[in-house]
Amino acid sequence: MNLERVPNEEKLNLCRKYYLGGFAFLPFLWLVNVVWFFREAFVKPPYTEQQHIKTYVKRSALGLLLWVAALTTWITIFQHFRAQWGEVADYLSFTIPLGIP
Amino acid sequence: MNTSDSEEEFYNERTALVSSESPTMATYTQDSQLPGPADTETKEGASSRLARGTAEREPAVESEDEELTLKYGAKHVIMLFVPVTLCMVVVVATIKSVSFYTEKNGQQLIYTPFTEDTPSVGQRLLNSVLNTIIMISVIVVMTIFLVVLYKYRCYKFIHGWLILSSLMLLFWFSFMYLGEVFKTYNVAMDYPTLVMIIWNFGAVGMICIHWKGPLQLQQAYLIVISALMALVFIKYLPEWSAWVILGAISVYDLIAVLSPKGPLRMLVETAQERNEPIFPALIYSCKRTIEYSLPVSEGTVSLPFSDEETPQSNGEGLERSQEEPENQAFMGRNRTYSAEEEEERGVKLGLGDFIFYSVLVGKAAATGGDWNTTLACFVAILIGLCLTLLLLAIFKKALPALPISITFGLVFYFSTDNLVRPFMDSLAAHQFYI
Repeated sequence: MNLERVPNEEKLNLCRKYYLGGFAFLPFLWLVNVVWFFREAFVKPPYTEQQHIKTYVKRSALGLLLWVAALTTWITIFQHFRAQWGEVADYLSFTIPLGIP
Repeated sequence: MNTSDSEEEFYNERTALVSSESPTMATYTQDSQLPGPADTETKEGASSRLARGTAEREPAVESEDEELTLKYGAKHVIMLFVPVTLCMVVVVATIKSVSFYTEKNGQQLIYTPFTEDTPSVGQRLLNSVLNTIIMISVIVVMTIFLVVLYKYRCYKFIHGWLILSSLMLLFWFSFMYLGEVFKTYNVAMDYPTLVMIIWNFGAVGMICIHWKGPLQLQQAYLIVISALMALVFIKYLPEWSAWVILGAISVYDLIAVLSPKGPLRMLVETAQERNEPIFPALIYSCKRTIEYSLPVSEGTVSLPFSDEETPQSNGEGLERSQEEPENQAFMGRNRTYSAEEEEERGVKLGLGDFIFYSVLVGKAAATGGDWNTTLACFVAILIGLCLTLLLLAIFKKALPALPISITFGLVFYFSTDNLVRPFMDSLAAHQFYI
């Protein structure tokens, strides 16, 4: 859908729904929220709902950063210590690479 | 894992080319004095009404409108090239790199029960023809079922089916795909990260396709699910059956969309009468200047695929069958859809079309000799798409997108594989450059 044609209240509603939806372990949704509403929140000339949209976009960006940090940490730890953890690592693994590491 | 049944359904629905707004808009504007989008037809209608008083202005206005139609037509062709190319590129890249999709381990869809592992050529041909007949009849039945459902306004049923289909497609097939890609590249992946990835991908996909989301993301998801579906088909259809099915489905497409009693045509006409958009997730639409986006009709790529996928689960037999008709019907619907969204400008192409184009190019990449064949098929399909869109601009009604492209694709595949390739090989062997 094109945001140009949508009235402001609906934009706010959409932004808020995306923000709330992201709490269901969906940082990707927060990313979409930030990218999609960035222009609406920061570039466009001010309108009544813009303040709220800005808050949502900022909070989505914050949540996204937190998730990215957490995931990066976990992935780094896993990839580094996978071989050492032995059985636990195998239990956690979806695919196990073949060959000599 | 046996992919299944509903895949066929997907075929049907998906292979529909929705004509651009031109055709339906024209009838619409003539019927009512709608301001509507600045459609060429609208302009034509309005201008011709105005011009009644001033007869001399008519020729100028009409030629302007024609020019605009052609210009929009050209833009639409370009706009459709990109997604079709992307889908094909994804499929070919996967086929060439991930060997899973080219391995035949004897598993087949239940729609193609006859095996091709027969001693004689005649027997193999017969089996593939029988497979095709079964598949096409399933598709026809499904389409008719879908049209009936639509006519009797069982919208909830259809929606539920579509949602189940897309769930299956977005979660299960992408899970399989990711697994194979990781195995190919020998990457270690743990379950928590994987669950996060699949969950995010699937959930955002469902939101974008069935509810509201940014247009580019929706288009991207549609392309991805078309590619996933095409890959499943390439894996589970036996060799000769796949080619015969491609041919047969183009013929079916032609009949279903153009003949007056064709199910797809009836679907489109019913949708037009009720002035409703076609269900989302069945059509891909490239919107350009969108004056006002109608909820459903926008770029929905048909999810016929999803239907196919759902058969995977055992208890879904009933659902699958339901989905199938939808798929088929939707494919047709997608074609004519554009008329309903009066403000949308942009041609719509059914997801089934994407899928079958990708199946053709993917099979050429998997079984053809080298890149020449693949490229030839790719070019053939694009040329066919151009011609189809040209016809769309001329006739201004829903048209089947499969026949011309698939015919060119098949002709190019077989001739390149059997004539051009040996020729090029001998030239290279003798170091003779032309």
